[in-house]
Amino acid sequence: MGRILLENVTKSFGDAQVIPPLDLVIDDGEFTVFVGPSGCGKSTLLRLIAGLEETSSGTITIDGLDVTQVPPSKRGLAMVFQSYALYPHMTVRKNIAFPMRMAGLSQAEQDKRVMTAAKSLNLVDYLDRKPGQLSGGQRQRVAIGRAIVRDPTAFLFDEPLSNLDAALRVGMRLEISEMHKRMQTTMIYVTHDQVEAMTMADKIVVLQAGVIEQVGSPLELYRSPCNLFVAGFIGSPKMNFITGTEAANRHAHTLGVRPEHIAVSTQTGAWTGRVSVSEHLGSDTFLHVHETGLADTLTVRTNGEISFKHGDIIHLTPREEMVHRFDAAGLRIS
Amino acid sequence: MSNRTLPRLLQTPAVLLLLIWMLIPLSMTLYFSFIRYVLNSLRRPEWTKPSISNWRGFGNYEFVLNNKDFILAIQNSLLIVCSILFFTVIFGILIAVLINKSFPGRGVVRVLLISPFFVMPAVNAVLWINMILDPVLGLQGLAVGGLNDAIEGLRNAPLVGGFFSLWPDFAPISFRATQTSAIAVIIMVTWQWTPFAVLIFMTSLQSEDQQQKEAAILDGAGAWSQFRFLTLPHLSRPIAIVVMIQAIFHLSLYAEIEIVSRGNGNKNLPYLIGEFANNNIGAASATGIFAVILANIVAFFLLRMIGKTLME
Amino acid sequence: MAIVAHHSRFSKIAWPVLAWIVALLFFFPIFWMLLTSFKTDADAVKPEHLLFFTPTLENYANMTENYDYWRFATNSVIASVMATAVTLFVGIPSAYAMAFNPSRSTKDMLMWMLSTKMLPAAGVLYPMTFLTKNILGIFDTHFLIILVLSLINLPIVIWMLFTYFKEIPRDIIEAGKMDGVSTWGEIREILIPLAWGGIASTALLCFIFCWNEAYWTVRLTTTDAATLSKLIEGNRAPEGLFFGRLSAVSTAAVGPIVVLGWFCQKQLVQGLTFGAVK
Ligand SMILES: Nc1ncnc2c1ncn2[C@@H]1O[C@H](COP(=O)(O)OP(=O)(O)OP(=O)(O)O)[C@@H](O)[C@H]1O
Ligand SMILES: [Mg+2]
Repeated sequence: MGRILLENVTKSFGDAQVIPPLDLVIDDGEFTVFVGPSGCGKSTLLRLIAGLEETSSGTITIDGLDVTQVPPSKRGLAMVFQSYALYPHMTVRKNIAFPMRMAGLSQAEQDKRVMTAAKSLNLVDYLDRKPGQLSGGQRQRVAIGRAIVRDPTAFLFDEPLSNLDAALRVGMRLEISEMHKRMQTTMIYVTHDQVEAMTMADKIVVLQAGVIEQVGSPLELYRSPCNLFVAGFIGSPKMNFITGTEAANRHAHTLGVRPEHIAVSTQTGAWTGRVSVSEHLGSDTFLHVHETGLADTLTVRTNGEISFKHGDIIHLTPREEMVHRFDAAGLRIS
Repeated sequence: MSNRTLPRLLQTPAVLLLLIWMLIPLSMTLYFSFIRYVLNSLRRPEWTKPSISNWRGFGNYEFVLNNKDFILAIQNSLLIVCSILFFTVIFGILIAVLINKSFPGRGVVRVLLISPFFVMPAVNAVLWINMILDPVLGLQGLAVGGLNDAIEGLRNAPLVGGFFSLWPDFAPISFRATQTSAIAVIIMVTWQWTPFAVLIFMTSLQSEDQQQKEAAILDGAGAWSQFRFLTLPHLSRPIAIVVMIQAIFHLSLYAEIEIVSRGNGNKNLPYLIGEFANNNIGAASATGIFAVILANIVAFFLLRMIGKTLME
Repeated sequence: MAIVAHHSRFSKIAWPVLAWIVALLFFFPIFWMLLTSFKTDADAVKPEHLLFFTPTLENYANMTENYDYWRFATNSVIASVMATAVTLFVGIPSAYAMAFNPSRSTKDMLMWMLSTKMLPAAGVLYPMTFLTKNILGIFDTHFLIILVLSLINLPIVIWMLFTYFKEIPRDIIEAGKMDGVSTWGEIREILIPLAWGGIASTALLCFIFCWNEAYWTVRLTTTDAATLSKLIEGNRAPEGLFFGRLSAVSTAAVGPIVVLGWFCQKQLVQGLTFGAVK
């Protein structure tokens, strides 16, 4: 079990209200990802759920129990920190066993669970090292091990992979996803990383300035973002926004077209422009197109074989069914 | 109970202890400062009890303010503290810059330099006033004596004798006299606290941005400009800290004054209080209140100056 | 460093030489005291025996006879060790509370604590004497000296500990909270092991300050609890004739502390500057 319910939760630091009244349901076994720009309150929200911050008002319920006033250790949650937060003076074994020791489990039970966790996380050879003697990835695994052994009702991750290099990230990302598939435990995961959010999440929560902009599955957010903010935030490279007559023709204030939904041609097309920069990523090419009369720059994503030079004139055609329309308030028109 | 209450309560023992430590003696001092209270009086035996019936109002304060020793003591307190601050900061910076570069035996130099800081103030005073500064038996006396003997010898020498016979005999300085005793105190405390300043400045110098320095060199800054425009600003915070900590310790300087002059020479405020307290508790208490006020003025400025930067 | 390398040969030699001269000058008074402690009282004041003399241990051997050194030294050890222990015992929880559960008043609290150090001791000497002698009857007891030493060092100790505790990542403490540690467990299992170095150097410095304290220890004792400060201050009268033995007793009083100080000089900077200088 691990159904987490936030009702009317607010949080202020002094006079600054970081989280205005907020409602959120996280279902049992769901992998929920919080995304949003820096400083939007992702960590704060996670820490409210963990109990590391006290709510200013509102209630938090876990599995039907009001835990708003319950101290963190009694909420049955486990947290993995960005900085790993391992106890530097304890060996890996002691680190992993620490929550169990605090809970008063028998030594035998502790050893058994440490071994199981170490095996599944490939840490068996490192059990007697101190955290200082481990690599970043290994440290993160220890932190996860420390969370697993508690058998929590939910896992909380605060940007757990952001201190790792790119290659390790991919590996750990998969490991955490596999872990979730295997254990079917509720997980809440805060990240900056688009790819992490899209690939791992069952449900993405997009936050801006403490307000939930949209909640939905990754594809829902990608296909039908409910407003300009979400449209611009989800997807990489960013969605192109077009205003003016072209938008008015389609009865909208703003049009949104993702770079991957624009076809390129040297002969004909709906729009015309001049290539300013083309970025070759190998698999893809990103074209930055000026002088279209639609927006400052249009970004277009094409396959890796195409090559244009600076100054080339090209023709662009959006895929009509993929064009998003927004009204003057920035809300989606469906 | 909220999960923050117990952790916050943990600071109460310390706070309470300090509060008691401050308030009880302070309120007693305040009370005594308003009554006539002496330890021995044959004429007025009733004054030897701290009783409310001996109320004197601001009489003790007037007595103290009219006592010429009081103004002198305040002047002396400030003179001593400011001089020590001045010299320790100057010497501290110079020596820190001197030993900032690595050279053979730097570790030993550090150890030698820091040693005075750990010397007991009482020993510091006894050592300096007797064995070093004493006009007869101390090194000063011996050195002056030796110098005079040497000059005496040279007077009888051929050729240069005529020149040296023009020289007077040197007289050793007595550091127990009124004017000079403050100098002795300044010397010995400066000796003790310069190492502290050196240590702090040196630590700070080591964190100086080397790239910034290299950029300055490429910009054509000479050694002096580098020091003036990069190093000195970098040291401003450590200087503030050295000033603050020393002010805390030196405002209540006592042992050194006591040992050097035993009251014949310069008194600072704490010493004057001690002297009044030999008999006239009322006056001692009034002086004490003045000292508290002075300390608070200094504390106010220092903490304002430094408090902000410290808490980040 | 490449740019700084082209110094003249002169400054390459003059610089260290100057540094050594300054260091030796600063160390000289201590050296002189040490040297004199091996001279007889008579030799100590004779110019011809300034540097050349027959060393003797007689001063050290007679320390007990001349000065009752061991009684004072024992008192110093008792007072300093106990006061340090008490200060840490009160100071650690307090600094912990301030570092990890700060409230709006924490900053002012710390400032206030530090400002109590500025109160002139002399201002409250008489009430203290009166209180301890006439009302509480604890004048000249170890209890009183330990109490007073603890109180005067508490602000500095809390400040230093606060500085060290601040350096511990919050995350680790919070991980502990998630893992189910109680408040005491947090202090015992996480804080103390992690800040061990800082706590040790704070203790060392507190010990040094206690040992060197020369106001209250002199004025609130007569014989029973009198410390080395009292011995040194009390015996300065006929010193002129007894440089040898005075040096011996002084050396014995400061020697252990100076050596201790050598070992904690680095931490001392960090602690005393409240982490503002790194
Ligand atoms: N203890 C605190 N006191 C005051 N303000 C705080 C505190 N913690 C966070 N804030 C403020 O609350 C806001 C949200 O912070 P939070 O750490 O939740 O952002 P975030 O979304 O996690 O950002 P990031 O992606 O950079 O980690 C920020 O504006 C921050 O300045
Ligand atoms: Mg965050």
